[in-house]
Amino acid sequence: MAVYLVERSVFLEWIGMLARHERVYFPQPVSESSFRFNRVGSRSLLALEDFDDSSRVKPFRASACVPPPVRSLAPDNELLFTFRRDKAGDCLLAPVLDNSRRILAGVRPCDLKAIALMDRFQRAGIPDPYYLARRDHTLIIGHDCLQPCDEYCFCEAAGSLAWREGADIFLTPQPQARLLVEPLTDQGAVLLADAGFPICEDVKGCRARAAARRATPFGRRFAAPLAQVMQVVAGSWDSAVWEQHADRCFSCGTCNLVCPTCSCFDVRDDFNVEDPGSGRRTRRRDACMLEDFAEVAGGHNFRKSTAARQRHRVMRKFVYLPDRFGGTAFCVGCGRCRRQCTVAIDIFDIATDLLAGAGEGT
Amino acid sequence: MKPINPHVLTPTMVRIKEAADMTGHERFFRLRLPRPLGHRPGQFVMVSVPGIGEAPISICCGPGDHDRLELLVRSAGSLTMVLQRLETGDQMGIRGPFGTGFDLADFEGRDVLFVAGGLGLAPLRSLIEPLILDRQRFGRITIISGCRTPAEELFGREMRTWARAPGIRVIRLVNDTAHLPWDGEVGLVTAPIAGLDMDPAATLAVLCGPPVMYKFVIMELAARGLAHDRIFIDLERRMRCGIGKCGHCQINHLTCCQDGPVFRLSSVESLPEALA
Amino acid sequence: MKNVLLRPRISFFDMAGCEGCQLAILDCEDIFLELVDLVEIVEFREAMSETAPRFDIAFVEGSIHREIDADRLRDIRARSRWLVALGGCACHGNVQARANGWSPAENLQRVHGLDTVHRVQTDNRYWPLWAHTRVRALHEVVKVDYLLRGCPVDRDEFLHLVKRLLAGSRPGFAAQPVCVECRRHGHECVFLHGETCLGQVTWGGCGAVCIAGGYRCDGCRGLLPNANLASHRQLLRERGLDPKTIDQRYRLFLSGEITAQDAPDEQ
Repeated sequence: MAVYLVERSVFLEWIGMLARHERVYFPQPVSESSFRFNRVGSRSLLALEDFDDSSRVKPFRASACVPPPVRSLAPDNELLFTFRRDKAGDCLLAPVLDNSRRILAGVRPCDLKAIALMDRFQRAGIPDPYYLARRDHTLIIGHDCLQPCDEYCFCEAAGSLAWREGADIFLTPQPQARLLVEPLTDQGAVLLADAGFPICEDVKGCRARAAARRATPFGRRFAAPLAQVMQVVAGSWDSAVWEQHADRCFSCGTCNLVCPTCSCFDVRDDFNVEDPGSGRRTRRRDACMLEDFAEVAGGHNFRKSTAARQRHRVMRKFVYLPDRFGGTAFCVGCGRCRRQCTVAIDIFDIATDLLAGAGEGT
Repeated sequence: MKPINPHVLTPTMVRIKEAADMTGHERFFRLRLPRPLGHRPGQFVMVSVPGIGEAPISICCGPGDHDRLELLVRSAGSLTMVLQRLETGDQMGIRGPFGTGFDLADFEGRDVLFVAGGLGLAPLRSLIEPLILDRQRFGRITIISGCRTPAEELFGREMRTWARAPGIRVIRLVNDTAHLPWDGEVGLVTAPIAGLDMDPAATLAVLCGPPVMYKFVIMELAARGLAHDRIFIDLERRMRCGIGKCGHCQINHLTCCQDGPVFRLSSVESLPEALA
Repeated sequence: MKNVLLRPRISFFDMAGCEGCQLAILDCEDIFLELVDLVEIVEFREAMSETAPRFDIAFVEGSIHREIDADRLRDIRARSRWLVALGGCACHGNVQARANGWSPAENLQRVHGLDTVHRVQTDNRYWPLWAHTRVRALHEVVKVDYLLRGCPVDRDEFLHLVKRLLAGSRPGFAAQPVCVECRRHGHECVFLHGETCLGQVTWGGCGAVCIAGGYRCDGCRGLLPNANLASHRQLLRERGLDPKTIDQRYRLFLSGEITAQDAPDEQ
């Protein structure tokens, strides 16, 4: 497949053009410090960071992008089905699936990995038709990171920095305000075929230049390899560390709700006042840190304490889901939960403390 | 990988063929299905009233190639209280069956001890029925079923009928007769276990009841020498989807809706969240 | 949902409050006529003048200040199948409960001056009605079936409650903090902008309207069960609020719920 070397401004213009007849989502600033994957319109300001000027603040930081891009595949208040009653009194139900095509552009490796993991999760066992309807009609343009987003990033330690799976096109910043544009799938190649971008003559050289430019170390690092971290977390059910990180927790669910690999949900039914025989069922994100998450009909709560819920959240990322879905950590190291937590509870710190408690690392 | 079923989270509306109150809180439904569910004993369905909500309900009839589905619904929440008002001819939404359930082959030639607390009898009935229908295929059956008072007893008449089949012993208990006529015993479901004529090497035990019941029944069974891989437990969680996605029924790394709700005790006893 | 809905008789009453919650309900104008079709409104001072002896749902707005109000509430309770506390004042005393922090004489002096206190002590016929009792939420006087929180109540929660009751079900309001609303709506936490907020320890269900409007949450929907107030107070201190300001923030809407234990800095 042909690889292209394009001026950044030309590429962004192309994104703008694409958005005229496609639904394109690109991270855009919504405040001084936050970004969102908004739909690109004629007046959207699109920016990507510069290769040469690393002193400039990264125009987009994954950890500041809330909600994460994976949410456009599983939006909040997602419609599951509508129902209405016919004249005979029979209730007719019809699932509402979103098969419309969309393009997610500017997705960073941590979020690429999160989407890839969610793909595995949602396809496994009995597949989730709603997620997959969107996913199967979504094209993803990934973007490499040469600098960590912020002081909370630990994507390299979590094994996400080099992630490419799931991207149809992958962008790498190059000197002189240019971008290396690589199609990774046939769909990506088809989309790029008509763009008229100049072909890159030295793909290896471009990749090497970017690799040489990449910060080392990249973000925070665990004191031990990730596999060992996961093993230690798995063996730390009775650790005192859980309590230490629960004291100041509000159980507000923010860490779950901003996490790109949290997908738990609750369903809600409603009927129309003007026609009570008709209505809908929707689902919305739920959070295992919320107090009543594991409560059953009789009132018994299987995770009553904050520490037990905290442990479940961390175990799910490093133990439960990896055990079932290919051994990869489901924490992608994006740093969102830490950045959004008002009392600075940090999954990185929890893992580090568990590691220290197990006699590994510092 | 299973094919994508776009209807997996959308219920099918099913007519109620028969509805009757069993106690003041539980209503029994017999539905006629458009086609057989092909369920296994111990599986559950998600039951809906569109516009109100959905909840997991155990299937309480035996398996087989029939278009009958029986459910016992206790009024416990915003949905189940609406279900109590449904009559013959009304519709309810059904999805499923979900979960692993019991494999009848495991029970061939074995003696089976059932211990049910309260509503726990409903899912066990889905296994008791086929065992009774095919007596020569299975060994002796003992059913210990307990509830608070005689007024709360479930399937009382049926249990008396079961007791007349060959090789079956039924022990019905209440905690308190509450001054009502009672032809069973008084006490907890744990009490009869010590005195049972039981060969631990040939027996399988199947338990279903409130979380508090398991611990004590398991202690009694252990005292009789029953190995933990011979004990099946049916766990309750508040599933929202039945397809292993919503996260609500997660028990450590397992999902109750897909890996359960029936488990061998030996496979979950090391999981701290399973029983408490 | 069943074919046949109940057609409940609904009534509205107000105690000490601003009647803003009743106005918020009248604000359902786009579907109000359809709603009125499904229910029978038998008493609603904001919109009609009839009165009725019995009803299925009584919505009571405002807090209880005087014993005659308590008696009136007991009467409403006796006449109604379900009693719903409508809004923050009815649910937890809201702003008015602030008065409970001082003696009636102190309140009188603060609001009306020392002269008034003298007059009260010398003139038997002069007695401002609000000044002499403790402010109570409805549940401190009678059994309350459901709480519609907020200042004012949320229209969607009101509709949810009415629809559930007419379908023979019961409403469910999750005990979740405002943070859940903010995250679901994709709002960035106001703490990240140097603002402080009570959303972590107070009930959501409001759609985080104040945050959406560029403000913070002052906690009008009441304190969550098991709210981690110790941590929250510590957080507010770290973010530069002095103990007095912190108490003022808590006391604005939560006086009826904050105990002395929760407020160690107060003298």
